[in-house]
Amino acid sequence: MKENKWGKALRVLMILIICAACLIPFYVLLVLSLNAPSRVFYEGNIFMPNFHWQNFIDAWNKSRIGTAMLNSAIITAGTLIVTIVTGGLAGYAIARHSTRYNKFVFGLLIGCMMIPGIINTVPLYILMRQINAIDTLWGMICVCSTLAMPSAVFIYATFIRALPREMDEAAALDGCSPFATFWRVIFPMIKPATASFVILNGFGIWNNYAQAVFFLQSRAKQNIPQALSVFFQQFAGAKWHLMAATAVIAIIPVVIVFLVFQKQFIKGLSDGALKG
Amino acid sequence: MRHKRISWAQFLSLPALMLYGMFFVYPLLRGIGMSVTDWDGMGEATFVGLQNFIDFFHDARAMHDIKTTLIFALGSAVLLNVVGLCYALLMNSDFRGKSIARVVIYLPAIISPLIMGYIWFFLLQPGRGFLHYAFAQLGMTDIIGSWMSSYPSALLVLVLVNVWQFSGMTMIIYLAGLQSIPSEISEAALIDGASNWQRFWRVSVPMLMPAIRINVVTNIIGSLSVFDVIMSLTEGGPGYATESLSIYIMRMCYGSRTGYSTAVAMILFFIILIPVLVSMRFTRQKS
Repeated sequence: MKENKWGKALRVLMILIICAACLIPFYVLLVLSLNAPSRVFYEGNIFMPNFHWQNFIDAWNKSRIGTAMLNSAIITAGTLIVTIVTGGLAGYAIARHSTRYNKFVFGLLIGCMMIPGIINTVPLYILMRQINAIDTLWGMICVCSTLAMPSAVFIYATFIRALPREMDEAAALDGCSPFATFWRVIFPMIKPATASFVILNGFGIWNNYAQAVFFLQSRAKQNIPQALSVFFQQFAGAKWHLMAATAVIAIIPVVIVFLVFQKQFIKGLSDGALKG
Repeated sequence: MRHKRISWAQFLSLPALMLYGMFFVYPLLRGIGMSVTDWDGMGEATFVGLQNFIDFFHDARAMHDIKTTLIFALGSAVLLNVVGLCYALLMNSDFRGKSIARVVIYLPAIISPLIMGYIWFFLLQPGRGFLHYAFAQLGMTDIIGSWMSSYPSALLVLVLVNVWQFSGMTMIIYLAGLQSIPSEISEAALIDGASNWQRFWRVSVPMLMPAIRINVVTNIIGSLSVFDVIMSLTEGGPGYATESLSIYIMRMCYGSRTGYSTAVAMILFFIILIPVLVSMRFTRQKS
């Protein structure tokens, strides 16, 4: 389809405006985070920062964001590992052994896929209290794993169904146990499945707040959103520059990971979404 | 003759089932039991029948929260899809810097909605936020007045921030859908004399059904269970005006009304289930 010169220019102009609208909030957050303590919000030139880098050091020291980042990293990595291993095995069993039992497992997971975590959070909180899992990273990993599990099983089952069964049989003839067949033969062949699972769920686990607010209350175990909300409530109405600096510190790792993997990310999102 | 033994390999799905059963299904079922008690989370629970559900529908705050949640979800789901589709139509052509534009527009969606709420909280501070100064320089003072003190404007701000943050996500999915439409079909319609408008409604939209379905369903679930962005932007205020049902559940739980809060969760479950089933039915693909 041909588009005339003016149409094209208009299109590019509108896209530029949209991009600006997406980026300006980040820029003005940066300006605020570099404010000297004496400056109130955006007095003076609204686009001109003070370059008061000390804010980042103060924010880091006062907000415990460092501990929170470590906790978030452990929770995210732990959840991804647990769901990839258990969800991968389940996807393998479901794809290869379509028994009544496995149909039940698959139906249960897909049926619950649409239930957001908040629905069972209160009884879950009681359960977590009984097994002493409140304020523990392993407890949070278990909770986050269940939220990501349907997606993992669905993705793995879909990918494994597309692989020829002869591979399993060849591996079995070579003396591989079913577990070894999955782990040594199938799993390495479906790296794109793992990639799209990590892409679709990783940021959500990292950013989790609705569960963290219940299960990670002690300061030593907070994840990033929880630490930030506690810090902000503490300084509400004052020290805006430190709050902004903490927010900048909190989003930097996510932005870096996104920019490094953006190509795989957008591809995985497009593929994964339309298959589901 | 049957030689085949039941392979134990089918039970490789057991670890996943146990984890899921313990931390998702079991609490879910237990919640149903708790929803018919007056349990405060500590002492003895007494069976109260449907009293919690009756209380819920007689609580003015809860009724207002339903209204807020539904308005937020309707506004978000409609705007996210319209804006996302417009972005995708704009981006569905070749130009230099296309992949950069795609990354930039998607960028807000990867940030925690809680942090996003705080960022907009800075931008929207009445009398001192960025937008106040920006509009003041254009000669428009008081446009960013005390939006947080009135219900309609606070709710509008919440919807707009949510749409601003996640329209990149709907865009990516619509873009993938648009790119999967074979160009021959579109060209054939053009040769048959279809106008742009007709081609959009008769060719693009039906072919986009899988993308519409995934976007509508995920947006309905996400916006009806909204939590993070409201907590950071308004904390449910002014008063309890912009409180969503998710926040209400949390506050009732912390207010030692454990049984009652699980009953509210059951109600929220149906509030989410019904529109999801309806929208899935309407977007079912005709083969």
